[in-house]
Amino acid sequence: MKRINITVNGKAVSASVEPRMQLADFLRESLNLTGTHLGCEHGVCGACTLLVDGTPIRSCITLAVACEGARVTTVEGLDEDLIAGELRAAFSREHALQCGYCTPGMLISARDTVMRMPDANERDIRVAMSGNLCRCTGYVGIVRAIQSVITERKAKGLSSPPSPRAEFGPAGSGRARPTAVGAVAAAPAAARAARRPGPAGAADRAPEARRVAEPGVGKPQTTLHESFTVDYPRAKVWAFFGRLGDVATCLPGTSLLGTPTDEHVETRIRIKVGPIVSEFDGAADVVRDASSFSGVIRGSAHDARSRSATRGEIQYVLIEDENGAATRVEVDVGFTLTGPLAQFSRSSIVHDIAWRMTDAFARNLRARLNRGNGSARADSTAGASISEINAAPLILSVIWNRIKTFFRSLLGR
Amino acid sequence: MSNQGVGACALRKEDDRLLRGRGQFVADLRLAGMMDVAFVRSPLAHAKILGIEIPAEHRGGVFTSEDLTGVKPIRAVSGLPGFKVSVQPALAEGKIRHVGELVAMCVADTRAAAEDIAAAVRLDLKELPAVHDMLQGRAAGAPLLHEAWGDNIFLETNVEIDIAKALDAPIRVTREIRTARQCMAPLEGRGVVAHWDRRLEQLVIYSAAQMPHIVRTGLSECLGLDHGNIRVVSPDVGGGFGYKGILLPEEVALAWLAMRCGHPVRWIEDRREHLTAGANCREHHYVITGYAGRDGRLLGIDCEATVDSGAYSSYPFSACLEAAQVASILPGPYDFPAYRCRTYSVATNKCPILPYRGVARTGVCFALELVLDAIARETGLEPHEVRLRNLVRPEQMPFDNITKKHFDSGDYPEALRRAIAAIDLPAVRARQREGARDGRLIGVGTAVYCEQAAHGTSVYAGWGIPMVPGYEQATARLTPDGGLELRVGVHSHGQSMETTLAQVAHEILGIDFAKINVVHGDTAITPYSTGTWGSRSMVMAGGAVSRACREIARRAAEIGSWLLKTETEVVVRNGKVIGPSGSVTLEEVARIWYLHPQDLPADVNPGGLEATMGYKPARDSGTFSYAAHAAMVAVDPETGGVEILDYVIAEDGGKLVNPMVVDGQIYGGVAQGIGTALYEEMPFDSSGQPLASTLADYLLPGPTEVPAPRIIHMETLSPYTEFGVKGIGEGGAIAPPAAITNAINDALGALGPAEVLQSPATPRRILEAIAKARQRPPAGAAQGSAGERA
Amino acid sequence: MKPSAFDYERPADLDGLIALTRREDLFVKMLAGGQSLGPMLNLRLVQPDLLVDITAIPELKRVEETADAVILGACVTHADIEDGRVPDATGGALPRVACGIAYRAVRNRGTIGGSLVHADPAADWISCLAAIDAEAMILGPSGRRAIPIDEFMTGVFQVALEPGELVEAVRIPRLSLGARWGFHKISRKTGEMAQAIGAILHDPARDVLRAVIGATESVPIVFSGAAPLFSGSPGSGLAKAFDASAAVRALEDSGITDAVDRQLHLVALKRAIDQAARP
Repeated sequence: MKRINITVNGKAVSASVEPRMQLADFLRESLNLTGTHLGCEHGVCGACTLLVDGTPIRSCITLAVACEGARVTTVEGLDEDLIAGELRAAFSREHALQCGYCTPGMLISARDTVMRMPDANERDIRVAMSGNLCRCTGYVGIVRAIQSVITERKAKGLSSPPSPRAEFGPAGSGRARPTAVGAVAAAPAAARAARRPGPAGAADRAPEARRVAEPGVGKPQTTLHESFTVDYPRAKVWAFFGRLGDVATCLPGTSLLGTPTDEHVETRIRIKVGPIVSEFDGAADVVRDASSFSGVIRGSAHDARSRSATRGEIQYVLIEDENGAATRVEVDVGFTLTGPLAQFSRSSIVHDIAWRMTDAFARNLRARLNRGNGSARADSTAGASISEINAAPLILSVIWNRIKTFFRSLLGR
Repeated sequence: MSNQGVGACALRKEDDRLLRGRGQFVADLRLAGMMDVAFVRSPLAHAKILGIEIPAEHRGGVFTSEDLTGVKPIRAVSGLPGFKVSVQPALAEGKIRHVGELVAMCVADTRAAAEDIAAAVRLDLKELPAVHDMLQGRAAGAPLLHEAWGDNIFLETNVEIDIAKALDAPIRVTREIRTARQCMAPLEGRGVVAHWDRRLEQLVIYSAAQMPHIVRTGLSECLGLDHGNIRVVSPDVGGGFGYKGILLPEEVALAWLAMRCGHPVRWIEDRREHLTAGANCREHHYVITGYAGRDGRLLGIDCEATVDSGAYSSYPFSACLEAAQVASILPGPYDFPAYRCRTYSVATNKCPILPYRGVARTGVCFALELVLDAIARETGLEPHEVRLRNLVRPEQMPFDNITKKHFDSGDYPEALRRAIAAIDLPAVRARQREGARDGRLIGVGTAVYCEQAAHGTSVYAGWGIPMVPGYEQATARLTPDGGLELRVGVHSHGQSMETTLAQVAHEILGIDFAKINVVHGDTAITPYSTGTWGSRSMVMAGGAVSRACREIARRAAEIGSWLLKTETEVVVRNGKVIGPSGSVTLEEVARIWYLHPQDLPADVNPGGLEATMGYKPARDSGTFSYAAHAAMVAVDPETGGVEILDYVIAEDGGKLVNPMVVDGQIYGGVAQGIGTALYEEMPFDSSGQPLASTLADYLLPGPTEVPAPRIIHMETLSPYTEFGVKGIGEGGAIAPPAAITNAINDALGALGPAEVLQSPATPRRILEAIAKARQRPPAGAAQGSAGERA
Repeated sequence: MKPSAFDYERPADLDGLIALTRREDLFVKMLAGGQSLGPMLNLRLVQPDLLVDITAIPELKRVEETADAVILGACVTHADIEDGRVPDATGGALPRVACGIAYRAVRNRGTIGGSLVHADPAADWISCLAAIDAEAMILGPSGRRAIPIDEFMTGVFQVALEPGELVEAVRIPRLSLGARWGFHKISRKTGEMAQAIGAILHDPARDVLRAVIGATESVPIVFSGAAPLFSGSPGSGLAKAFDASAAVRALEDSGITDAVDRQLHLVALKRAIDQAARP
């Protein structure tokens, strides 16, 4: 808990809050100021918009602790405000509200528009209000109400107060005193352990993380193909692919949980994409066909933190090359992501990450096969083993892409 | 007409509190000892539950279906032949049928702490193949949601009238048309606060609900409690649009929890829950053929419609409301002789589909109006000309169409003519020929719809569903100070009923509008009602209020004439009982009734100045409001972007009780219709995962995406209702997808035979339609320079 | 949804900040305006142990003008730039881009440094600043360094910061008086994520011709010498000289195979060029 001191609607407030509490929740739950509404909690709808140091902000994505020392004004604090009063009358006259849920945030943004844009036309008003969604009115009355207040004020020669902001930086951050540094309490051990389990024994893991999802649930959402050649006869490569643990750990960020057999392996895959960290615990089984030098590794894994899961398969086939001196490895990866991590429309991001993982997997396989023995192909990229999909390896990945593109255009392949 | 009665643009009584942040929504309630609930929801669309692992430290704060003994599942049935019943437990039992289905309920001091617990609960699930698409669900060999059914079809219907006669028509156009799955997205989500009132031995549920009485009946069934032990309060509701017209599994679960825990509990739906786990709406698929003569006369319509109903039928009823209505409403306001329509309501691994503003009508209007434009292109006629040749004519009124829909009144061709005149079609065509200087393509589109509203017993009795609307009731009570209290069972979620019902009462009694108080949203103090849905509240509750007020007027007149010592007829007007010589105020009448009964006549009506009266229109097959929408758009052929340059609505809603409020309903409906037309879509992947879990993924139109439409009113009174009013709440949302898509296709015509046949008409769909048109042999001279690099 | 539990500190100075970010036992995440991080915290996509609020550090709000650049502290907000509270050396380019970022209430807290470090490919600054050839000024345990913006982002949500490093400021080169620029964003609706971004800077006096194809769902495609985008001399008029074939090849090389995506990127670039060419 952190103590914060802020001014709310002109009254000094001192309270102890959880750092994770957003300003809107603090006002609503701790101060019972329920005029500030939550409509999306991801900063899109604008229902929670209120004034901090006289400036509109989203209170659903502004932590209460970050507003230390700030002056907060909610819709309840605008009863005596001149412009808000004019807007209230205009909103009623123009039927600018129906259910009234978006109204508090709408008024705050409308007031800001009137003050900042004394010459705004209809289009300007619409753009200025574009961060506030209304599902009832079609915005007609809202735009008219704001326009009428602007017109009236202009006719009366009323000027708006100058912009309240003089300093730089996030609104509300200006008066915040630093916290004492060095006294960072470690997160409660239990909570942290739950969120970030270390390499755990099988007993600590959910049963489904130890079991491979049955095939036939559906076609993979994403499929990718990689191909590379190593300087070993096929039999040797086939033998390497028989060691499932070694193959599995070629997936970047993968560590083994327990001892693998040649048919079954239990792993943890850590994927870090910027601030998003996922740890997929899972298992994989392999079915190999020696007659065709091919195999299918089928696996599934779960990220307990996000309740997301992935299932997929890696198919490989080994083809003799260079009259048996080398082997071409064809790898097809197909997988499906489910759960909250999958539930966004920007699937190309997932695809981008998946492609990088597949690419890194292929390179790690090649590197591990070529390691030592002075292989002719043990060049610098082949030798780099990628431990985690993270910033640094991705640079390599980008470089590798460029190299590949270069060679492709050179060789016309 | 006074400035407070029927027809006045009275300013809203609701506004002041809402403008000062003093509204009271469910999430604003504060009850001592209240704890928060977060749910563990299914991350998978279709799965077997093998286990639910609750960490030891959280036992006692987590509840699963095993705990909810004695709670019955939600069963929203229909008596329609062949209907298959879905069984929806409050918390999943054994199997999960959609992403977001409730699996466990976690209680803590704060929502954040409850979410911490939910995150610590581990689910052991065995994923099953999902039915992610309605057509896939219909196909043989599809995975089964409800194994006992043998297939995934909730209901199949078929209507056939003389279709053989149309088959050799000279013009025949067939189109495959789809509408996206949507979320209603009221700004306020659902929310439930539940507690057990020990004194009254009553479960009190506060819920953001459109139909509190129906929620009470549903809870009574699921919990096995008498109605007398349940009170449902619906406070201020932040928009509903159909989304808040069902009994929620969350309501059942929290009701049980409140009784079990002995302290109030609260669950407030967040946006993620709304988008991924709440109800969906609108997803239709059509294969539709229009048969016509070369003169554009419609000779028949043949259609196969499939609706993605989701996993369960929501209470009181949802699964087939859309599909089964498609068959009866597809013909719309057009007069033609042959028809066939087969419909399928398909169960899929998605959350249940719910009736959303313009129930089924938005989809059928889209399908039919796109086909009419295709016929216009075949015949070389202006699209509105094709419509004029087929619309029901005013002299045919009242008119029974091919599916026996009874149109009460109106002049449909006139509405279309006014819309076309207002959009100035010749000027648009001229501008189109010139081509916009910025390279964008201009197009104009029209759509006509009718909105059957406030339909009652005679329509719903045949459905055999848990809720058949009958008489709507209202209670009117003159208070000792001469004010009026109105109690109604419908409930406003933005419709301004505190204002408009007061206007109705003022019209009859003349009591000052400021002294009329509308009470709604509480089963304890309002008459039973099926609630607010189907554009029915003004027709039904308005009618009931007028009846109750007339009864009050009659009784006040009796007392008044005694006080005025007159034998001649008195009238009640302007808040007074007026006799031949002199008058007495209603305030005086009320004061004497309540406080000075010694001054009353001996034979006074003991019912006093409080009356509950029921109302049904003279004919309850529904009022038919209607409109012609005309849109002018500019399509950017390089980006697929669409700008709406002008939008006209010529609309007939019968008598308008408050024209300002009516305009507001139309503007709001059109904005939602624009969302349907251009932006809103909840896509799913092949494992049934919803792919729009935030408002950055699910796009709602904002101020820059919605124009200010121009509205032209016609007021043809309904012959069947009080004051001649018609329901108008949904209409605005029905026609825009059709009108806008027709306008887009009109614009794309400059590039060749390009058609968008799927809503929303996203930039991608428009660009793909353009690319497809360009693959064909060039259709004409007009070839834009844009987009050729793609 | 509410965030998972974390600790919060607001250090007074850069030393204190670096000390905190070096804690290896904790998942530490820096917080500036929080307008991108906030939604991710609420959705529990990001679950840090410790949030370090950097907004109380004066150096990070500092604004400095030199002969050839304007240096904006990492915590300068989009609104600070939009409103002209900070000096502009780009002939209005930065204020115009700033006013198109999300919504006003977001711009009042969202920061230029935060946006860069968040590295969402669809964000405006990463593409705009790459076109202008700005530099991220980085401070870390081993001192200060500067990275050109076009090398700063390495992937989706990934940047070239070493552990313990932070962006202290952004150095924005001063454009010549005759410089022309264009920035065009295609998005589904006002304020929403870009589907495509095109940006161009032509500053003949400094011999600069740069172009960017942004919002590719990965790192922006930067043409640091954009001459191949033009046939003949760009001096004859950028819009007329634009030749899309080099851009098409670059999009193909970046794996953008979808025809619609490719078209949108090309149109955005073309329109940015048109804009730069307009008098």
